Amino acid sequence: MLSYGFGQTALIGGILIAITCSLMSFFIIVRRLAFAGMGISHAAFGGVAIGIAAGVNPIVTAGGFCVMVACGIGWFSRKGKLHEDTIIGILFSASMALGVVLIAAAHAYNQDLLSYLFGSILAISWVDVIALGVLCALAVGFMVLFFKELLFFSFDEETATASGVPVRTVYYGLLITIALTIVVSIKLVGIILISALIVIPGATGLQLSRNYRRVILFSVASGIISVVVGLQLSFSFNVASGATIVLVMFALFLLAVALSPRRKYMMRLFGRQAVPGEAQEAE
Amino acid sequence: MSAVRRKESHSCKVGEYFDSTEGGARVLIDLEHVYVSLGGHPVLEDINFTLKDRMFLGVIGPNGAGKTTLLRVMLGLVKPDSGTVCVMGMSPGELKGELHHIGYVPQNVLFDPIFPVSVFDVVMMGRICCIGRFRFASRADKKAVMDSIHIVGLDGLEKRLIGELSGGQQKRVFLARALCRETKILLLDEPTSGLDVPAQRQFMDLLTDLKENLGLSVVFVSHDVNVLAKHADEMVCINRAMHIHGKPGEVIGSDRLQEAYRCEFDFLIGAGDHHAGGEAP
Repeated sequence: MLSYGFGQTALIGGILIAITCSLMSFFIIVRRLAFAGMGISHAAFGGVAIGIAAGVNPIVTAGGFCVMVACGIGWFSRKGKLHEDTIIGILFSASMALGVVLIAAAHAYNQDLLSYLFGSILAISWVDVIALGVLCALAVGFMVLFFKELLFFSFDEETATASGVPVRTVYYGLLITIALTIVVSIKLVGIILISALIVIPGATGLQLSRNYRRVILFSVASGIISVVVGLQLSFSFNVASGATIVLVMFALFLLAVALSPRRKYMMRLFGRQAVPGEAQEAE
Repeated sequence: MSAVRRKESHSCKVGEYFDSTEGGARVLIDLEHVYVSLGGHPVLEDINFTLKDRMFLGVIGPNGAGKTTLLRVMLGLVKPDSGTVCVMGMSPGELKGELHHIGYVPQNVLFDPIFPVSVFDVVMMGRICCIGRFRFASRADKKAVMDSIHIVGLDGLEKRLIGELSGGQQKRVFLARALCRETKILLLDEPTSGLDVPAQRQFMDLLTDLKENLGLSVVFVSHDVNVLAKHADEMVCINRAMHIHGKPGEVIGSDRLQEAYRCEFDFLIGAGDHHAGGEAP
């Protein structure tokens, strides 16, 4: 795979996306933003459709649109006295509907649209990789610089506020980072499967450890492994790379569930009695 | 419990305030004619009281009386419609840079039981305003965290997942988190709610010890009149407006207390004996 130029760009781009999404995935899981992530990612369809209909780069319009939807979710859920899942459901379906109407009006049901829906990592150029690297660096930079604030805010928002943490900035910053991460990931797995990238790695990490540092480590590792193995498999068997990456990710999640020290499935399978505190030692 | 007396390391504004005021007469919180409304509805009306240095002030009142809002006013999180709030000589606006002198224990921390943070990690969150933005915890921060875990009696549990602890242990963790900064004022919002009687007693004994050993000033919000009557130096009863303020013996048995709760009380047995002795009727 690496002997081809497109294989190299796909691998580097994929790894950059995997690192960003997997780190983001930790906060999505602990802050219970999985549905918000899914809502924003599906809303990207509306943004892509605006770009296609207006003849502008769909990734740019999707970026702006996703940031607007993310801020809308944040604003309505904090100010509008609506539950977060309610407003996500509304914005997500409205954005999809807008996308369908615009695509139909522009007669743009074509191969180009399918690449946004299902990803086209093998088609990315070095320029795309550089742009992707810049956006990933911004997203990772935000999460690293505000890590302790994000952790405190995710755990106990009220006390974080009372301790001077700028919770509104952190919350909107997190939502905007999720939106931008989703947009840069469209090339890898497409709008339909992006939510897997921002949910599964964190869930996998959480199966394997109860220490947040290790959860993040396992999350990032599972993301990178999924991209590398998924790309290789898709290359070898000539199947869709985005879907293959997601399936590898899911397989790693199942493996993590089986190996989880908390669940002790393996111990039961091999007839060992669960020893109290053993799970903790496994940490 | 071994007492850990911390070094005085005030920042400028708080240091200046402590240097310019006398210990016994020093007022740490001063509320004058405070009115607060939320969403157009009046929540607090004409609230007046002071918290002196090293005082244990109990705030009681029925559910929905505005007790939590009162704490949020003291923390600068809720802006009063009118009246003045002064905390350690500062307005709520100035207080934003001095929040590391205030420890806060909220009523309920609704966290996910599988949230992957240990006791150490949770207590470290309390150091956030000491560490500062874009910085990592130093060795001194880690030591402060371990000291706080020690003084609340949770030695050996620092690596345990917070969700694995009992309710009483979790309350101690949140108390340690409130103490692991340069705390001068401790604000507690019903910290004993949901605990059984022995756990409540242990928590209150610990709190009383900490107040004495660390020289803290405490504002303790509760609707459990008996618990506060035994430990508070002064009590305030609110139900939107202030109904009574005084020594526990004066508050207990007052008609105005029953008026605030809008019901008869049978808490006289044992109430107020800690402080008031014969003052309780």
